[in-house]
Amino acid sequence: MKMHVKNRNVAIIGIGQTSFSSHKEDQNQAEMVQEAVIRALADAGLKIGDIDCIVHGNMELFEMQFAPDLWHSLGTGAYGKDEYRITTGGTTGATLVCAADNLVASGLYNTVLAIGMEKLQEGNTTGGITNMADPLWFRNLQTGALTGTTAQEMIDEFGEERAKRAAMRYRIMMDKHAMLNPRAHRRFGLEYSQMEDLMANSPPLVGELRLIHMCSQSDGACAMIFTSEEKVKQGTKNPPVWIRDHIQIHREETIPNLFGFNKPEVTHHYAARTLFARNGIQDPVAYFDVFEMYDPSAWWAVDWLREFFLLKGDEHLRMLEAGDFDLDGRIPINPSGGVIASNPIGATAMLRPAEAALQIRGDAGGHQIKKEVRHALASGFGGTFWSVLMILEKELNWQEVSHD
Amino acid sequence: MTEYFGTTVADIFATMPKRFKPEEAKEVDIAIGYEATGEGGGKWKATIKHGTLKVETVEGELTDCKTTIHTDAETFVGVTLGMIGALDALSSQKLRVAGDPKFLMLLLPKIFTPYVAPAKKPDAVTARDIIATLAERFRPEKAEGVAMTIGYDLAGEGGGRWTIIIRDGKCAVREGLADPLTVKMTMEAKTYAGMMVGTIEAVTAFTSGQVKIEGDMAAAGATAKYFRKYVVPGATEAEELISLRVTNSIEQRFATGPVMGRWFAGIREKKFLANRCPKCGRTQIPPREICAWCRVRVHEFVEVGPKGVVTHFDIVYFASPDPLTGAVRDTPYATVYVVLDGATEREAITVDLKKEDIPRLKEGARVRPVWAEVTTGSYRDLIGVELDEEEGSL
Repeated sequence: MKMHVKNRNVAIIGIGQTSFSSHKEDQNQAEMVQEAVIRALADAGLKIGDIDCIVHGNMELFEMQFAPDLWHSLGTGAYGKDEYRITTGGTTGATLVCAADNLVASGLYNTVLAIGMEKLQEGNTTGGITNMADPLWFRNLQTGALTGTTAQEMIDEFGEERAKRAAMRYRIMMDKHAMLNPRAHRRFGLEYSQMEDLMANSPPLVGELRLIHMCSQSDGACAMIFTSEEKVKQGTKNPPVWIRDHIQIHREETIPNLFGFNKPEVTHHYAARTLFARNGIQDPVAYFDVFEMYDPSAWWAVDWLREFFLLKGDEHLRMLEAGDFDLDGRIPINPSGGVIASNPIGATAMLRPAEAALQIRGDAGGHQIKKEVRHALASGFGGTFWSVLMILEKELNWQEVSHD
Repeated sequence: MTEYFGTTVADIFATMPKRFKPEEAKEVDIAIGYEATGEGGGKWKATIKHGTLKVETVEGELTDCKTTIHTDAETFVGVTLGMIGALDALSSQKLRVAGDPKFLMLLLPKIFTPYVAPAKKPDAVTARDIIATLAERFRPEKAEGVAMTIGYDLAGEGGGRWTIIIRDGKCAVREGLADPLTVKMTMEAKTYAGMMVGTIEAVTAFTSGQVKIEGDMAAAGATAKYFRKYVVPGATEAEELISLRVTNSIEQRFATGPVMGRWFAGIREKKFLANRCPKCGRTQIPPREICAWCRVRVHEFVEVGPKGVVTHFDIVYFASPDPLTGAVRDTPYATVYVVLDGATEREAITVDLKKEDIPRLKEGARVRPVWAEVTTGSYRDLIGVELDEEEGSL
């Protein structure tokens, strides 16, 4: 197996977020970016002059604003600095973190600022996704990220009642988490007693995917600051959070390749087993204290928990039903409320490691997990099942696994 | 009436006729029922038929409505004003739509101008107060070389008749109507005051017949630019937040290349051409230059289909726009994944299923292609598939 060799260790030392909402008419894009950047710099106790390089990302296709990094330099502080731009669909935010990690690990830069943003109200996300789904074929049928196939597969596998209840339980659990996070976009105050009503009456979108299951379309930005182990040793304002390893992978060329007679190994599963194997993690559920997962819909979320945790059969449903994924459960999922609650796409996948890092620091606020968080997992998702998976650590004490 | 966000549900319905855009509703034939529960709520029915609108309050049941909207009064006002996201309200079930929610999302914004909550203070301002400030708001630099007399005949409380004389870079206001006038405007004094303080849109007031204009129409339209905007005394104006509106329409042209191009050349002849990987044997659809799994060049073309088997499907209720045409799709429709006969197990294609066949659709169903009458080498050549029931394999 090929090793992901890191030249030097990299830590997250600053995190800044805006609030997430569908109403940010009082800010333009650059102003919204600036809000997140200022907060990240303050969190790190740094000034823009301390930043050696900037990585910027969003989905141009959604706002249809060409080269937004130029306009946004008013908010990013990139004027006269080295800057890279990243656009990888839903995974953009996670790719930004991977890129910043790589830029610092390589030794080319000591301190890197990464910014993910989106103002989805300014464009048409579903239209954008539809337009890029496939360059030459099937565009006329695409509905962006809306699909009911996973719901149907789960109903076929676990029975209608159990599958529907699992998806709705997950959805309400996310809302309960979002209610604790004042930055979250959609905070409905749902109760588990509303389960039957929502299962029957939420407007259907595609098959059994209903409006309540699907993620929001939000405006917002996230900024993170990364630096080298040497710099951390000189002192940091807040405790550093270490990026142990990350994997960014895509394996499917077209969407129909996923829907033939047999189901291929989902990229999430491939990413998870590859990443865990090269880090010597045998039992991810036991090892991790939190998982911030990119969950675009409640159906996908439940299904993907099995893939990411390398679970078998109905283990993931039993864990969900037992409350293992609750905020005070065995392995809490998305204390922030997840993508279902807040989805500013270019920032969405960055919010996963950002929120996971805040949990490790103990700085998550109202949605902080009660028990100590030492090992965190964060994922990103996009396009034809792209997967990004990242391991964050509180201590710089993990054992390197030897590979030949 | 109980107020939410500074206005009432009743005011939203009362202003509906003024906000209606008949020219956008020529093709529309629908009755929409509204039920707003709680304080300040009630039931209303809006009947829109070929450019006409009837709004009525309803006692008892809402009947004969194609779509009904059920919500609490606060959510209704919030969604109308844009303070609460419509999708958020729908998701949380605070707002329920019986019938097709696409009307809520797509039709209403098209046929109504947005509702604006009435400002509170300006109610006290009369037309007379506003006329009295005209001379001091005059902008001589904008009126250079302009000579006109404008008559206002404003009926009702705070109204009266005035003539505004603009000549030689000066402005004078006289009581009474002069003769001749360049233009004469007749309306309720309240309407004039509303237009000046911004609670009534001038174009709407004119279109709906609330303002009568006699004489030089262009002169009437030009008056605004000769004066600074009227500001209600003591009112602190909210900061103006301008959003720019843009509709992109982009013509694109993608090269298919000599390998994938064979697919389109094939469907022009009503044939499905895949290419077979020499190493793993998979039949790639559409054909690709290499097999990404095996990293080898692929040269051999094979014909697959034309019939196949449905492996998965999606019944779509959400009316998303077709990005190729901009048209809103007719829902529900079915997207089916089909493995064509002779294709390898993972090489599905995605196509539309004939609408009439949706109720009988099952995984494993046999299907056959439905071709366009004229095929040109485009994705439009394959309209979709239909169930192939003669084989009795359902």
